[in-house]
Amino acid sequence: MTAQIHSFPPSPAITVETLPLAARFSLRLRPEHREEAKAALGLPLPDRIGRTATEGARRALCLGPDEWQIDAPEAEADAIRRALPRGLAHALVEVTDREVTFRLQGPAVLDLLAVGIARDVSRMEVGRGTRTVFDGVQAVLVREAEDRFTLAVWRSFSPHVEELLQRGAREIALGL
Amino acid sequence: MTQAFRIPGAGRVDHAKPVRFTFDGKTVEGREGDTVASALLANGIHLLGRSFKYHRPRGIVSAGSEEPNALVGTSRGPGRSEPNTRATMQEVWDGLTVESQNRWPGLDFDVGAINDRFGRFLPAGFYYKTFMWPRSFWDKVYEPFIRRAAGLGRSPTEPDPDHYASRHLHCDVLVVGSGPAGLAAALSAGRSGAQTVLVDEHAEMGGTLLSEPGVRIDGQGAWGWLDAALAELRGLPNVRLMTRTTAIGYYHQNMVGLCQKLTDHMAAPPEGAPRERLWRVRAGQVVLAQGAIEKPLVFDGNDRPGVMLAGAARTFLHRFGVKVGHRAVVVTSHDSAWHAAFDLARAGVAVAAVVDVRPEVSRVLTGQAEALGIEVLTGHTVTGTTGRLRVASVRVNPVRGGRVGAGRTIACDALLMCGGWTPSLHLFSHTKGSLAWDAGAGAFLPDRKTEECEIAGAGRGLWGIAAALDDGAKAGAAAAKAMGRVAGVGTFAVEADRTGDGVVVKELPTDRNAGLAKAFIDFQNDVTAKDIRLAVREGMRSIEHVKRYTTNGMATDQGKLSNINGLMIAADALGKEAPQVGLTTFRPPYTPTTFGALAGYHKGSHFEVTRRTPIDAWAEAQGAVFEPVALWRRAWYFPQFGEDMHAAVARECRAVRTQVGMFDASTLGKIEVVGPDAAAFLERMYTNPWARLQPGRCRYGLLLGEDGFIRDDGVIGRLADDKFHVTTTTGGAARVLNMMEDYLQTEWPDLDVWLTSTTEQWAVVALQGPNARTVLEPLVEGLDLSDAAFPHMAVAECTVAGFPARLFRVSFTGELGFEVNVPARHGLALWEAIWAAGQPHGITAYGTETMHILRAEKGFILVGQDTDGTVTPGDAGLDWAIGKQKKDFVGKRSLQRPDIVAKGRKQLVGLLTEDPKVVLEEGAQIVADPNQPLPMTMIGHVTSSYWSEAMGRSIAMALIEGGRDRMGEVLHIPMPGRTLRATVAAANFVDPDGLRLKV
Repeated sequence: MTAQIHSFPPSPAITVETLPLAARFSLRLRPEHREEAKAALGLPLPDRIGRTATEGARRALCLGPDEWQIDAPEAEADAIRRALPRGLAHALVEVTDREVTFRLQGPAVLDLLAVGIARDVSRMEVGRGTRTVFDGVQAVLVREAEDRFTLAVWRSFSPHVEELLQRGAREIALGL
Repeated sequence: MTQAFRIPGAGRVDHAKPVRFTFDGKTVEGREGDTVASALLANGIHLLGRSFKYHRPRGIVSAGSEEPNALVGTSRGPGRSEPNTRATMQEVWDGLTVESQNRWPGLDFDVGAINDRFGRFLPAGFYYKTFMWPRSFWDKVYEPFIRRAAGLGRSPTEPDPDHYASRHLHCDVLVVGSGPAGLAAALSAGRSGAQTVLVDEHAEMGGTLLSEPGVRIDGQGAWGWLDAALAELRGLPNVRLMTRTTAIGYYHQNMVGLCQKLTDHMAAPPEGAPRERLWRVRAGQVVLAQGAIEKPLVFDGNDRPGVMLAGAARTFLHRFGVKVGHRAVVVTSHDSAWHAAFDLARAGVAVAAVVDVRPEVSRVLTGQAEALGIEVLTGHTVTGTTGRLRVASVRVNPVRGGRVGAGRTIACDALLMCGGWTPSLHLFSHTKGSLAWDAGAGAFLPDRKTEECEIAGAGRGLWGIAAALDDGAKAGAAAAKAMGRVAGVGTFAVEADRTGDGVVVKELPTDRNAGLAKAFIDFQNDVTAKDIRLAVREGMRSIEHVKRYTTNGMATDQGKLSNINGLMIAADALGKEAPQVGLTTFRPPYTPTTFGALAGYHKGSHFEVTRRTPIDAWAEAQGAVFEPVALWRRAWYFPQFGEDMHAAVARECRAVRTQVGMFDASTLGKIEVVGPDAAAFLERMYTNPWARLQPGRCRYGLLLGEDGFIRDDGVIGRLADDKFHVTTTTGGAARVLNMMEDYLQTEWPDLDVWLTSTTEQWAVVALQGPNARTVLEPLVEGLDLSDAAFPHMAVAECTVAGFPARLFRVSFTGELGFEVNVPARHGLALWEAIWAAGQPHGITAYGTETMHILRAEKGFILVGQDTDGTVTPGDAGLDWAIGKQKKDFVGKRSLQRPDIVAKGRKQLVGLLTEDPKVVLEEGAQIVADPNQPLPMTMIGHVTSSYWSEAMGRSIAMALIEGGRDRMGEVLHIPMPGRTLRATVAAANFVDPDGLRLKV
């Protein structure tokens, strides 16, 4: 709506763009209530940390034993807000505006991530996500494809992260 | 300048590509592929600088990163100067500027060389002995003198304009060093499929093979085999090769730091390219194939330009096609230098003699020498050299039965020495792996390992190309197997491998007074053999003490050439074996590393995260002055029309008290507490009661630690039975969430409640002042803002300026106030809408300074300013915030402790200066009697102090012993030059009855 796709100077090895805001929720509930929540949301909640599950345009990423990040198009936000019954003990908190999500894509994507992330991202399977740290900034990283990731950070940290992604992308474009 | 010492067509430099650079202002021509050292040598230049202490002329000793002498200043343009660049590592390019160091007025004639004449008055420990008394001279005279005299080269004075990069890297096998052992290891590991990284500090891979083209491997010349091996490695997708990359440190759990030089070798680096990159490598296995470093021999005059390591001469010859002289003499205790002599002779250098300290040397070597017309002087010593700026002759003497015979002089322009080879143990030592003394090799070798590493080749005392290849192949395979790969061990057919051995010697025997010999051990720190012996005579027993007393091995080369020679001489002086004296510890970095590489991206705008609110851009456009609060930058005040801070803040304060002000409160921490047990959870965390707080209402919350001291505070709104909107201080947001999670997960996992940080979900605009409602009302939909319908401490969800909002009626100023929360993307638009709506009503943007003053006028505390981690609710006058009926909350029990309930605790009160114009200094100490003897008893201190525009005078808050029992008492604040008087008052200066809120 207000955010636009912003592409960095393009390079065949790497592209970085800022994604427009889409609905994002933090869902918290006890693991034994997963099935109930799945039925209500029409979206499976993976039981292993780091796994994702998708249904239609909705995606759930398990970030903790009782924590899922739900991503969905803006248009589905209201439906999600109303989906879970009051009788089900849970917390559904909208965090759409809390975060800025970058999409990183290209054959050099692992090199770019290695600029800020200490863990071995190459071992991450496609379809997995993790909470991690990018250059000291808490982030949620999701591997969408072999050469495509999203990196979400809190809004006020995004200029810092964006500046480093730009620097890294430039190094890659220079071949240094 | 002609390259008189260049052999046309020889070496690995590109003879078709001349490169011109300057040395002390004179243009020097080299070839592409040259280092500064090889290019200067090609032009017959050996004199590169003056030594650190005695200002003795010094030249090039080695051909690698261990170089102690040939340190030069280099410049790559404005701001891009570097002292102490090793001439043996810096590659030449068109336009490079090189300067010699530590000489004045010139390299050929240097005034500081007077130190050399008086060298006997500058023994080891000179500074310790000389600069002791009088004590008062230290700061003004001695220290500045030592500082001027200390250190080589001049630090750059301009800010470094270069960029530095860093990256993380994970691999199965990291191989350090690309000589034969490292190459073979990388081949084993690479062929097994293991993720393999091979690094080398030089511009080219190959190590010793670059200096040994005569060896044949698998039927090919060494260079042909090298090309094939590198081509194979480059072809493997799982192998990464990195040149100009130094492994600077080996840290815990196989973390190795690499410093990669990216652009120092380029005449025209791409715009914005980083100069260096620090790699943080986490390796499954590390293969250390660092090789060995040649040892100098210790004799009088061994530091003259033209005296260099024999292996270095061989490297300059084969790798760079440079003869180090026209007439050379070799002095050695090891077979390897004989081969250097043969290679030089075959290249057309007149080798006058090979002097070997050993009485017996293999017939194969002596025979070859004789065939090449080289005089063989076995069982001889070297007792001196001549030549002012370049060696001109060497004095050699026979040694028979321990007696040194008569000397004779042999003319030469290069003296090549070899005292054997020291396995390079630096990185292994970083791991705290233990070393074992090998008496046969006269060297320390790696012993017990503490990390997942293999040591291969000359680095563990093996000698010869074949041995290094075989050992490297085994080490690489072992490393790959340890990573779960199936790895074969390659075999290599090596011909013309020039193996050999030698003996370990201390300083060479002489027929002259050894006490007058300038026989250098540490070239860079100007430490001689007699300095070591003096240190032992003066009582130093441990090698660590000898090192610090003499500074041996303490220069930037960390004793790569000097440690073992120093040890052998110290051991001799002590009458002990070398291992009993021990080796000093090597520490990272392996070679000097720039601060830029270590800082990486973290400089300038990227030094640290700067968090900005969605409204920050507006404040910046309005010319706001910012202040840092935690990682945030917040608008401090908004000066207009050339106002100073005082005038701006006074105007902002007046506006809020008389009309309306708006404030960006987005940085306030926010935590959404949701779940059936949300109220129960808050009951336990905060001192206040929450159970009966109705949805749609707010309450001030006070958070204590288990110790009963104030940790944080903030307004908490109940949005629904099971949903609270908690606010925290800006700096406390993360801490409070962590503390809550800690209690929830470890103490009360049974509670059905969850915490989510929403600090950044919401942008917050605070609207404060008598006109606040008038401004806001037209923008609000779905809510009656009247005092009756929406009283002080109410909260509601509604629409403000068309945006979904959470609206709080709260006040941190004592005025009618609202805080509008909207999703962060709308923050700026909301701000601008309110700004526009407020124009007819005198709306004024205010910053954190005004916010602080307005709250102080009301006596509201700032956690962290008026509290310091030792202040209880009672101390702060916040007893009213404690739920008296509550069974428990965090910190409750501590509030009953005897010292917490004791009389005389410091309490937060107001303080009014006698002179209303005087604003007290925050932090100033307070005494009851200004005439008491020193040291005075301090009874408290000022915590907050401001000029209050509303009061027309200064106000202050202070923590004072028994403060609330001192109302009206006059206390004293001693300041430099005067003592101020102030009266204790209630800390609620403006509208003490709170009538302004009820509108």
